[in-house]
Amino acid sequence: MVELTPMIDVVFLLIVFFMVTSEFARDVRADLELPKLEGEQRPASEEAGLIINIRQDGAILLSVSDDPVDLLQLEARLRAAFSEEGAREARVLVRADALASTTRLNEVVRLLHELGVGSTRMGTEVPSQRGGP
Amino acid sequence: MRFQTRRSRVRVDRLTLNLASMIDVTFLLLVYFIVSTVMARPEDQLTSAIQTRDSDSAGSEIDYQPQVVEVVAIEGVPSYVIGNRRLRDLSGLRDVLRDLPTELGVFIRVSGEIPVEFALSAVQAARDAGFEQVTYVPEE
Repeated sequence: MVELTPMIDVVFLLIVFFMVTSEFARDVRADLELPKLEGEQRPASEEAGLIINIRQDGAILLSVSDDPVDLLQLEARLRAAFSEEGAREARVLVRADALASTTRLNEVVRLLHELGVGSTRMGTEVPSQRGGP
Repeated sequence: MRFQTRRSRVRVDRLTLNLASMIDVTFLLLVYFIVSTVMARPEDQLTSAIQTRDSDSAGSEIDYQPQVVEVVAIEGVPSYVIGNRRLRDLSGLRDVLRDLPTELGVFIRVSGEIPVEFALSAVQAARDAGFEQVTYVPEE
């Protein structure tokens, strides 16, 4: 008779570990190398809101599964999103790759400003060690 | 004639629980979580107001000299400029910002082909220096 109890314990612990420490791949968060900065260190419970991803090559993604959009398409999507809640109250998170050009980031920020967004949030990746570029 | 006693008629059955199906389900759950999840790198954010050159020229009623950090490429090297000081490293920028009054806020003007990391580093430095009001100004 093989004693299975320790093995079941370990397997359950592994399941709990994966459930707690991992996060389901969100369709709206592209896999980017965000700037390694500490950010504002606020609780992460805040709702992310609308997320705009900017890849290193400058491509703009609103969803991982969708094709990149250009500025005109982005404007149309943003107008549609803001028609419900209003641009001023909109929560927008711009996730730009650390090595992407600020030219593209500035275009997106200018567009947000033109649409009436008063402030924006820029995504960062919390570094494992303190330090910056 | 031989009678059976009452005690000898009681059958002692060992209760056995078949765990195989539960272990199967448990392993399937484990495989599911391993395959379908990604280890999320911890993310944070930097909030800043947005202003453009057009809108800040419209604010001509401002009666104070705005504190501006220019993030520009000088001879191809990303640099931070405050007034007539040119800084190439983030620690120097932090030191300068710490000497400025924080209640007036600070503008971060970003222009040129600069990696995003340098622009956001300026915003981070302003936050670290204690500025609550940080305004991102995208240049053409």
